[in-house]
Amino acid sequence: MSIDGLSRRNFLAGLGGVGAAAILGGCATSASTGTGQAGGAVTLQSNLSAPLPKAAMESVVAAFNQKGGAQAVLNTVAAETFRTQLPSYLTSGNPPDLYTWYAGSVGRSYAKKGLLLDLSDVWSGLTDYSAATRTLSGDDAGKQIIVPITYYWWGMFYRKSNFEKWGVRPPTTWDEFLAVCEALRAKGVEPIGMGAGGTTPWVASAWFDYLNIRINGAVYHRELLAGRHRFDDPQVKAVFAKWKEVLPHFDKSATAIPFQDATTSLLQGRTGMMLIGTFFADAAPKDALDDIDFFQFPIIDPKVPIAEEGPTDGFFASAKTPRGAEVKEFLKYLATAEAQELFIKNSAGTVLPVNPKAKDSGTPLVAKGRKMLNDAAEITQFFNRDSSDALQPTADAALLQFFAQPDQVDSILATWQAAAEKVWSS
Amino acid sequence: MTRRNPLREIGYHVTASTISLLWLLPIILVVVTAFRSFDDVARNGVGSLPRSFTFDGFAQAWTDGGAARALVNSMLVTVPTVVITLALASVSAFALSRYDIPFRRTVLLLMLAGNLLPPQILLVPVAKLSEVLGLYDSLVALVVVQVGFGLGFYTFVLHGFMRAIPAEIQQAAVIDGAGAGQLFLRIILPLTRPALAALSALAFTWVFNDLLWAITVLRSEDRMPVTPALLGLQGQFVSMWNVIAAGSVIAAIPTVAVFLRFQKHFVAGLALGAVK
Repeated sequence: MSIDGLSRRNFLAGLGGVGAAAILGGCATSASTGTGQAGGAVTLQSNLSAPLPKAAMESVVAAFNQKGGAQAVLNTVAAETFRTQLPSYLTSGNPPDLYTWYAGSVGRSYAKKGLLLDLSDVWSGLTDYSAATRTLSGDDAGKQIIVPITYYWWGMFYRKSNFEKWGVRPPTTWDEFLAVCEALRAKGVEPIGMGAGGTTPWVASAWFDYLNIRINGAVYHRELLAGRHRFDDPQVKAVFAKWKEVLPHFDKSATAIPFQDATTSLLQGRTGMMLIGTFFADAAPKDALDDIDFFQFPIIDPKVPIAEEGPTDGFFASAKTPRGAEVKEFLKYLATAEAQELFIKNSAGTVLPVNPKAKDSGTPLVAKGRKMLNDAAEITQFFNRDSSDALQPTADAALLQFFAQPDQVDSILATWQAAAEKVWSS
Repeated sequence: MTRRNPLREIGYHVTASTISLLWLLPIILVVVTAFRSFDDVARNGVGSLPRSFTFDGFAQAWTDGGAARALVNSMLVTVPTVVITLALASVSAFALSRYDIPFRRTVLLLMLAGNLLPPQILLVPVAKLSEVLGLYDSLVALVVVQVGFGLGFYTFVLHGFMRAIPAEIQQAAVIDGAGAGQLFLRIILPLTRPALAALSALAFTWVFNDLLWAITVLRSEDRMPVTPALLGLQGQFVSMWNVIAAGSVIAAIPTVAVFLRFQKHFVAGLALGAVK
C-alpha cells in the first residue's frame, strides 16, 4: 500500500516535472516571438485622460489616420495609472510605440537605460523649432528623444473684477507685490492661495522655482536640481528668506486643500491671487474664464536675466518599436502647425503650440502668456521636469515643512539635501 | 430597570445615529455630487450645498467616460472568475476536508499563506509572468490572476464549512453506492449552498471592485474594467468630480444588486458557520 502510494507520488512528481518543462518551453518561445511584428497601426499610449485634452488628442489622431499613410491607435489611460505604469510599459516585451511625456531632464533617465527611440532624424526636419526646444528635447548623449507639441505658462492668476473691486493693480516688482498683499489683507481677503494639500503638494514647488530663478537665475536653478549645488547653500537660504517675507500673506489653508479647491477659492474671491499653470482653467466655470487674468511673477533682482516656467509636453517612442518608420511619420505630423492648431482648437485652448508657425487660440490671455515666454531670456520647465520624478517628493516634504515651521529653515534644508543626495546617487 | 432608563435610551439613539450618519456621509456626498453640474462644483467647491440638479454627469460618465463598455468588461471578468474560483475551491475543499490526503494540513496552510502576502510585492512578477505567457493585456490574464489569488481563501472557508458536515451522511451515501463524484455533487455540494452563496457575493464584490490587478495586467483603454475606467475620469490636473461621482454610482449598482440578491444567504451563511 505504501509502496503503491509512493510510486503514485513519484508518477505525479514526474508528471509535474514534464508539465513544468512544457510550460517553461512555452515561455521561452513566446518570449522570443513576443516583440510584435512590423506593420500595423502605431499605438499611442496617452495620459491625457481629462475630457478636453482627450478629445483634442482623438481629433489629431483621426486627422492623421485620414491622411491615408500610416495609421495610429490612441489608447488613453488615467494620468495616475500612466505615471506608475510607464516603466513597466517601456520594459515590457511588446510595448506601446509612442507615449505622451514631458520635455526636460525627466525623460532622460529612460534614455540612459536605452529604452527610448532615437528621434534625431525626425528633428532634422523640424527646422522651425527653436534651438532651446531642441536642447530641451535631447538626452545627455546628444540624441533627440522627444518631440514636443505644446507648452503652457505659469503666472499669478487673479480675477479682474475682484482686483477692480478691491482697488489694486497687478504689481511688477517685489515691493509692489508686498503692497498688494497688504492691501488685500486689509480688505479681509486672503492675499495668496496655493493648494498644496491633498494630492497636489507639488504646487508649492512653483514658488520655490520662481523665487530661485528670480534671485539666483535659471542657470543656478538647473545646476541645483542636477545636484551641482547644495540645498543648504546660502543662495537657497536667500530664497527662503525672501519667501518668509510673503509667508504671512498665504491663505491659511494653502497646504491643506488641493489646488482644484484652491482654484474655487480664487474664483469665489476668498483668495486674491494664485501662482498656477494655465491648466487650472479647466477647473473654472466657462463664464468665469473671461474674467481671469494674470501677471508675471514679480521681479526681485533686475540684474538677473528673466526666466519663466514654460513646461513643454510632447511624445517619446519606445526603442523596441518594430514600426519605427510609421512612428516617425506620425511624430512628423504632430510637429506640424496643422496638427498643433487642431489640438489647441479642440482642447481648452490655454496651451501654446511649440511650432512657431502654428497659431494659438488667439484670446488676449493666451497672447499675453505667449509674449511673456517669448520675452523671457530663459525657460525652465518645472521642478520635477528639470530634475526627476524621484526628486519631487523631497521638495514636497521640505516645502510643506517650511510652511509648518518657517523658523526651522536651516534644519529643513539640511534634511532636504540629505534626501536629495540619496536620489542623485541612486 | 436598565432598559427603561431614559438617559440610556437617549444615549443609545444619539450614538447610533451619529455613527450611522458618519458611515453614510461619504455615500451621501457622492450621490449628491453626482447630480450636480460641473460649473456648480467648480464655482462652489465639492463640499458645498448643491445648487444645481442635472443628469449630465451620468450621461457623460456613460458615454465619454466609457462606463458602458467598462461595465461589460467588468462582468466578463467577474462572472467567470467567481464561477471558476468557487468551482475549483469547492472541489479542493471537498478533497481536503472529506478525505485523508497526506499533507492536507500543509496544503491548506500553504493556500492560506498565499493570502497573507501583500499583493503589492507580487505586482511585478505577475506583470512579467502574464507577458511571458502571452496573456498580458487580455481579460483572460485578469481572470487567471483573480482565480489564482482567490482560490486559497475560498478553499479555506469552504474547507471549514464542509468539515462540519457529519461523517454519517457521507458514510450513508457510500453504503448506498455513491462514488466520490456523486458524493460531491449530490450530497456535499447541496449542503454547502449557504456558504457558496455567501462566498459568491463576497467574491463578486472583491473581483468587481479590484483596481490593482486590472492596471497591472491591462494597458488598453477598451479592455479596462470599471474601476480603472473611473480612475481615468480623473485628469492629470483637473478632475470632474460630478462625472466621477456619477460613474461611481453607476459602478456600485451591480455589486449592490448582487448583495441584495444574496443578502439572506450571506447572513445565513455567516451564522451557520458560527453556530455549526
